[in-house]
Order: sequence, then C-alpha cells, then structure tokens
Amino acid sequence: MNNSIKRNIFRSARLTSLYIVVAGIALIIIFPLFFLFSFSFMSDYETYSEWPKPLVPSVKAEFMIDKDSEGYHLYIYNKSKKDFAGFGPISFNNSETDLTKLSKYIKIQANCKISIEDINSYLSIVDRDGEIRFSARKDLFANYILFFQVTRDAGPSVLRSLMVALFTILISLSIGGMAGYAFARYFFKGKNILKIGVLFVRMFPAVSIAIPMVIILAKMGLTDKPLGLSLVYAVGQISMSIWVTASVFMSIPVSLEEAALIFGTNRIGAFWHITLPLALPGLAACAMYAFIGSWNEVISAIVLTQFNPTFPVVVYKALIRSQSQVNLITAGSITQALPAIIFTLIIRKYILQMWGGVKV
Amino acid sequence: MTMKNPQLLLSMETRRKIMPYLLIAPVIIYYFIFWLFPVINSVIGSFKDIEDQWTLSNYIYIFKDPVFYQSVINTGILVVFSVTVEFLLAFGLALLINIKFKGSSVFLFLAMIPMALPAVAVGAIWTSGFATRGWLNSFLMTFGFIDDAGKFLFLAGGKYASMLLIIIVDAWQVIPFVMIILLAGLQGIGNDMKEAGYIFGGSRFQVLRKIIIPMLKPTITTAMILRIISAIQIWLIIVMIFGFNRIPVLLEQVVLNVDELGSEFFLRIGMALSVIVALIVSLVAILYLKVSGSFEKKDGDSE
Repeated sequence: MNNSIKRNIFRSARLTSLYIVVAGIALIIIFPLFFLFSFSFMSDYETYSEWPKPLVPSVKAEFMIDKDSEGYHLYIYNKSKKDFAGFGPISFNNSETDLTKLSKYIKIQANCKISIEDINSYLSIVDRDGEIRFSARKDLFANYILFFQVTRDAGPSVLRSLMVALFTILISLSIGGMAGYAFARYFFKGKNILKIGVLFVRMFPAVSIAIPMVIILAKMGLTDKPLGLSLVYAVGQISMSIWVTASVFMSIPVSLEEAALIFGTNRIGAFWHITLPLALPGLAACAMYAFIGSWNEVISAIVLTQFNPTFPVVVYKALIRSQSQVNLITAGSITQALPAIIFTLIIRKYILQMWGGVKV
Repeated sequence: MTMKNPQLLLSMETRRKIMPYLLIAPVIIYYFIFWLFPVINSVIGSFKDIEDQWTLSNYIYIFKDPVFYQSVINTGILVVFSVTVEFLLAFGLALLINIKFKGSSVFLFLAMIPMALPAVAVGAIWTSGFATRGWLNSFLMTFGFIDDAGKFLFLAGGKYASMLLIIIVDAWQVIPFVMIILLAGLQGIGNDMKEAGYIFGGSRFQVLRKIIIPMLKPTITTAMILRIISAIQIWLIIVMIFGFNRIPVLLEQVVLNVDELGSEFFLRIGMALSVIVALIVSLVAILYLKVSGSFEKKDGDSE
C-alpha cells in the first residue's frame, strides 16, 4: 500500500519533470525562431530606429504632419519612445517632386503605401487645422517581395536547386541503398572496415573535392549543370544513406523474406514485394535527409556553378554581402528554410525508425 | 525451414557469397571516380607550386603561418567543448524524454527544425540576436531585466566570449540532432532488460551504467563519430556570424584560401590545408573508434 503510493508519487513527479524539461527545450528552440520570423515582417524603421526593438511586428504605422514657416514636417510614431519622431526630410512642400520622394521614402522605410493624392489631401487638412494624424496599413510581406526583386535569378534557381536535390536523392538512395542492404543482410569479408571506410569519405573537406571535380565534370560535359552538382553532393550523402538504409533494413526481420522465398518467389521478388514496402518510410526519411543536405549546401555550389547558381548560392550572394539589412536577410533565410522545414514536417514520423538500429 | 531442392540451396549459397560484393560494387566505383580521383588530384596539387613543379612550399607556408596554429587551437577548443557539452546534454535529455508522452511527435518536429535550417538562417537568427542592439537585449530590456546601460556586448566581446557564443549556437542547432539519434537507440532497448536490472536489485544509476549505456554503445559511437567529423569541419556558421578571419578555424581557412582569395597560389595552399584537415579528422576519428573499441569486432561478425 505504502509502496504503491510512493510509486504513484514518483511517477507523477517524473511526468511533471518530463513536461517541464520538454517545455523548456521547446522554448529554447522556438524563442530564436520566433524572432527570425518576427524580424522578417518588420520595416527598416522598426528594426533600426526603435530601441529596444519591438518584439512583434506592427501591422500599421502612425504618422503626423504639421507645418511651420519652413514647410511641412512628417513624423512617425516611435513605439519605444512612445512619441512621434521626425521622419524623412526635415521639411517639404507640396511640390510634385517632394511628394513623390516622400511617398517613396515612406514605402522603403516604413513599408507603407501612401499615394501622392492621399498626402495631398492630408496636406490640405494640415493647411486648415495645423496638423493631422493618420495611420497606414503596413505591407507585411514587403521584405519578401523586396528579396525576390533583389535576387533576380531566384525563380529559376529554385527550380535548379530542386533538380539538384532530386538527382542527389536518386543517386544516393539507389547506390547507397544497395550497399545498405548488403550491410544489413550479408556477412562478408571486410564488412566492418568497409562500413567505417565509407564514413571516411566525409572526412576530406568537400570544398577541396569540388575544385578537382570541375575538371571531371567538364570532361563529362556536366559543368554548371544540376546533375553535375548532385554527383558531388551524392559523395557525402551516399555514405549517410548506406548507414541509414542499413539500419532500416536491419529493423525488418529476415524471416519475412525467407517466408516469401519458401512460397516460391526469388530473392529479388522477396525484396521487391516484402522488404521494400516495409522499408519505404525509413527510405523516405533518408531521402528527405538528402534533400535537406543538398538544399542547404552553399560552398561547393559556389565553386561548381557559374551562370546557373542554385538557390542557396543566390541567397548567400544577395544577403551576405549586404550584412546591414537584418529584416531583408531574415526574410530571405526564411524563404530558403521553408522547403526544408516542410520536408522535416513530413519525415518526423519516420526519423526514429531511420536511426533505429544504427551500429558501427 | 526445409529445402526441397539441395541444388537450389547450393546455388543460393554461392549467390549469397557474390551478392554482397555486387551490391557494394556501385559504391566502390562511384567513390573511385567521384571521391578518390578528386582527392588524389587535390593531394597532388598540394605538393605542386604554381609552375607545376614538385614542392613542399605550400606546407611550409602553412606551418610558418601563425594563423594556422591559431585555427588549430580554436578548432580544438571548439570540438572538445561542443562535442562533450552537446553529447552530455543530448544524452541527458534523451534519457529524460524516452517515454511516449502526449505531444511527443510535435516535440520531435520542433527539435528537428534547427538542423533543417540553412546556415544563412542560423546566421541571421544569431547576428540579429547577439548584436548589441539585437533581439536578445531588446527582449531583456522590454521586460525590465536590464536597462540601456546594462546591454550585453555579445558579438563585441573578446575571443573567448565569441568562442562561447559559437559553442552555444552550435549546441542550439546540433543537440536536437544528437538527441534524436540517441533517442532512437534508447527506444530499441526493450523494457524487459531494464526491468531485469531492477529485479536483481540494481539502482537507477547501476541500470544506466551496466545495462543502458553498454546496449546503447553502437548508437553512441555513431552519434559521436558523425559529430566529431562535422565538428572539426565547423566553419560556415562562424563565418555567418563573425565573418572571415575573426575567429579562424581550420575549414574556414580552407574556404578562405580556395574560394575567397581566388588565386592559383592560395588555391594550392587551400588544397594543402584540406589534406591536413582530412588527416586530423581521420586521426581523431580512428582514435575515437580505437578507444571505444569498435575495431575489436571481427570481419563478418553478426550485428
């Protein structure tokens, strides 16, 4: 009796501490991601002129215009100072050129679209009342739109990147999967050495493989082509695939295949009809893993592409040299991260199976 | 299982002998063309000067360069600290959450996001977070933990502060990855084994030390070896946060020479450096496998 109460208390204490730990880790993971997301919707004004920076992007901006002997003055509401602050040109008049400049400035700095006609009508109210306060809806996706304008080659490069990823998956899964099956099902001389040996492939820096590869790919006529790049990516991915597929195949009992053999199928038939369907989730996870690896790779792609860069290269070149604009960089990196995150969502069910019986 | 046809059995026996080699042949061929050939090219290139004459000057140049020693030391510090810290934390977490709980699949998805993120995104998160006027200070200020005078100078800190930041960022991205591998291994250990341990009077710690860890050893070796290989080759995230040459590490120097400086001379230096990096990585990996006893198994040993 006493013991069972003790056990109950112990169990609920364990469960509580489990949830606290899980919530803690989740928070540590989400916290930075939240800001990455948040910044990507902020205007330049929010990220650079407010201190402390807002934690969530605003959906609209508030402006004020007043007038003195020098002309009109524009102010924007600064949330951190809790007051209106000077914005844009010190003063302006209602000439066409001034208003065009002003409208552009508001669009770039505050991500708000205010037409010249609107400003003109506001100015007439200022003439009458002395000042006007108005708010404008912020274009939340302005950074994303700007990102695709800055990176002119983004569209085709996404397509190329997808092709590279697809070829990488096909090569690494077919070649690696065969070897993985051999490691899982057969005993043969040199098995352990080979299995560790394929890992050693990953030990030579990939960049330095990429440079001699330029010559090989040129001989094959694959320079600057998606297939050429995936041939290089597959080098690292194959060794990963071998390990993962070996563990997947190991988790499927041999007895199932043997049963099929008894019923008169040959080995290939047994593999095709019994093992493969059972291994499919693990193989899918392995494929997605290859996808993430190839989708995110930058440096070999920089070496091996010239006129047909992959999407990560386009992002890298567009963003890294312009370190200044945090909001633009975050928008770009979220755009790049999105496909990989979606694929992660797909593989999460299979990931534990994928690492199931991994052994050296 | 009874075989009706002895001849079929025999032919299957020979087939069983050839089959694995047939299955592995494509990998070997692939690696001959797309790995060994470029690697040999790189190694040869590292021993030649710009005029294509045999020389050791590339290596001498590297060994005379103080930045090289600095990058070796930095890499060493980063590897030792990040691999141990990440492993211990990941192992502890994996032990803790090794139960199916409500929302475990959502949690698994969350834990996998950091490793799916491209380096650009990870860099963006932390440069915008660790900047003196970044979101971390903003957050602390908004909720009144610090005032304007008490801002943390994360990125503007000294060398060791920067290294600490790198370790934290790396841990943030990698711990979930290591944890998932270990978790998968833990789930493979049946409950009956643990229960047997408890029945024979073992304490929780004894069960962990005598049953769980030995059974988990293959998984631990996998996780460690993958981590060591990639930890020594850390560079992109450092460059994304600090740029080139602030915190020199081995692979960053390779990329710098190969890609950024962009002349034939530096290309050869980069090749020599990558040979050195490959040697270091292999040495550490072999050392680890030796110490952990993974070579003790004989060929053809069953899994």
